[in-house]
Amino acid sequence: MALGRVDGLTFSYPGAKAPAVADVSFTLEPGDVVALLGPSGSGKSTVLRALAGLVPHFHGGRFAGRVEICGADTRRTRPAELAGRVATVFQDPEDQVVMARAANEVAFGPENLGVAPGQIWPRVDAALAAVDATHLRDRLTTELSGGELQRICLAAALALEPELLLLDEPTSQLDPAAAERFLSVVERLGATVVLCEQRVERALEIATRVLYVEGGRLLLDAPAAEAEEWLRGNRPRYAPGGEPEALPQRPVGEPVVRLTDVSFAYRPGVPVLDGVDLTISRGEIVALEGENGSGKTTLAKVAAGLLEAQAGGIEQRGRAGYLLQDPGRYLVAETALAEAALAVGGDEAPARAALAAVDLTRLADRHPRDLSSGERERLGVAAVAVAEPDLLVLDEPTRGLDPDRKTALSDWLVEYAAAGRGVIVATHDRRLPAHRRIRLGGEVLVAA
Amino acid sequence: MRLAPVPATILFASAGVAALVAERILPLAVLAAVLLAVCLRAPTRQKGPYVLGALLAGLGVFLISPLVAQVGYDVLWEGGPRIPVIGRLDITTEELADAALNGLRLTAVGLAFAAYALRVDHDRLLAAVGFAPRSALAVALATRLVPTLERDAAGLAEAMRGRGVPIAGARGYARLLSPLVAGSLERGMNLAEAMEARGFGGGRRTHAPGPTWTAADRLALTASALLLMAGVLWL
Repeated sequence: MALGRVDGLTFSYPGAKAPAVADVSFTLEPGDVVALLGPSGSGKSTVLRALAGLVPHFHGGRFAGRVEICGADTRRTRPAELAGRVATVFQDPEDQVVMARAANEVAFGPENLGVAPGQIWPRVDAALAAVDATHLRDRLTTELSGGELQRICLAAALALEPELLLLDEPTSQLDPAAAERFLSVVERLGATVVLCEQRVERALEIATRVLYVEGGRLLLDAPAAEAEEWLRGNRPRYAPGGEPEALPQRPVGEPVVRLTDVSFAYRPGVPVLDGVDLTISRGEIVALEGENGSGKTTLAKVAAGLLEAQAGGIEQRGRAGYLLQDPGRYLVAETALAEAALAVGGDEAPARAALAAVDLTRLADRHPRDLSSGERERLGVAAVAVAEPDLLVLDEPTRGLDPDRKTALSDWLVEYAAAGRGVIVATHDRRLPAHRRIRLGGEVLVAA
Repeated sequence: MRLAPVPATILFASAGVAALVAERILPLAVLAAVLLAVCLRAPTRQKGPYVLGALLAGLGVFLISPLVAQVGYDVLWEGGPRIPVIGRLDITTEELADAALNGLRLTAVGLAFAAYALRVDHDRLLAAVGFAPRSALAVALATRLVPTLERDAAGLAEAMRGRGVPIAGARGYARLLSPLVAGSLERGMNLAEAMEARGFGGGRRTHAPGPTWTAADRLALTASALLLMAGVLWL
């Protein structure tokens, strides 16, 4: 018997002109690991929310069709009542943590379900062990890194002992090794899993089935091997493939920033950067790679002048611009156009050009917080690039971007550098183009 | 050694009360030193602001109060300027002794609070209270709100600097206020959705049992009673 059944699901959010999903039907069999793929804004998250009952109960809107989970019709069963059978891990771990300590956070769900008190701590310990997070048990959640918090969120979902686990881009904050460990944990669970993931290759490695959604419609529902063939033929950017070749070397221009023997530590005696030499020249894209905590962001901030090195020399020629991780959180203006114009003293002409470069012209008058997460990320890029800094530094710019948007960003970066500017990208994503890749290891920079 | 939340809270509260009522410098200094050691051993990175806040507040009282007080006859220094209302600035032995006592008292009370903030599992303490669970949850969420807002504010300021937009003066920071509030509201909506998905509001809640009281917890309760008595009778 199917664990879940979605039949003709059509849903529109309140005030929306078009439905987020239209006439979507599929079934979930016990033990399925389903990769739910598709571009940003295609309706993947809406499908997940419908499976959790959050659509329509939490969001309102117009709902048609039928979603049945473990025999319960989600129109008549509230999400809180489904919680023992369904668990969801949302995209941003920061936005789902309730308690101050990790163990209490994991215990929160079982407490809500009314689990017998004597069974709660064993459940918590088992869930923490399943995600290799036992050592985080007594840590304050405010002191955990994004990756650690993501594991706590997965443990919190596992502690509900769900039959259906819904994961909305759960590895977005993890480096490749940590993401692989995370997904191998998911693979071992034995629960039915629906996984939304923009790192398509990794999702396909563990998936038994693939659903592909576009424009709110389900275009593909097939076993993994068959789906790979379909993707290769119809949506090649979503098909697994090798890493892109390095960009051809260009004639090196004059340096835009030169770091000589630079050291930096947030705490005395614990260097994050130690004796780093790095030169970025005009026309060059340099990728900084390495695991979480290896110092990529620190080096990027030092190069952009946002952090002052404690030792060594930094020679900057021209202006630097820096795009933070998750830039969609840090928008301050009332319209997208005003946001893009901030860095050029309110001048609308370059702001409109910057919006056009990231395909946001039609949304120029919208409030930034009314944009989707992918659109916000692109607005963040426009807001920094509008001033055409000589050195553009981007921190994890592909987080949450679908393969199409990633390709567009890559092309734009190549053009930006070709115009005689330097680019530094701190990234886990080896698909981003670069003339040089510098790997940072441990807490100290490994020689470039 | 880790104490259960309730005995730990009672112990730190007793230490704070004892510090408030104590009248002698040496026992107060010992109490402050013990509380300082307890705070410094807390397994958290956030102890700096708490400890520094308590020490600087006490130091401020010690440095300023002799100048503004008019007590005692054993004058150590006089000849300062005459200030309206306060009179001529001078320092007496008695004023110094009072300043040391009050400074230590404030430091010890501050450190007792810091120890409570840093060493007690507040989630479990609120659960142990056993009534008004929704209010307890609101308190737990509010506790998380402050560091989250701090981080968001720092991120906003850094994002502006990264774009080359100067943030200076009250007007510059005021511009960040509205996005900070909007971000909090958005986070609140996301959190509400996540809580509902985790079964909150679905029915009768249970509570994970608090830690079983050990000999150390009983000792802490005894020490609390002794501290209060000592504070009132001897310190």
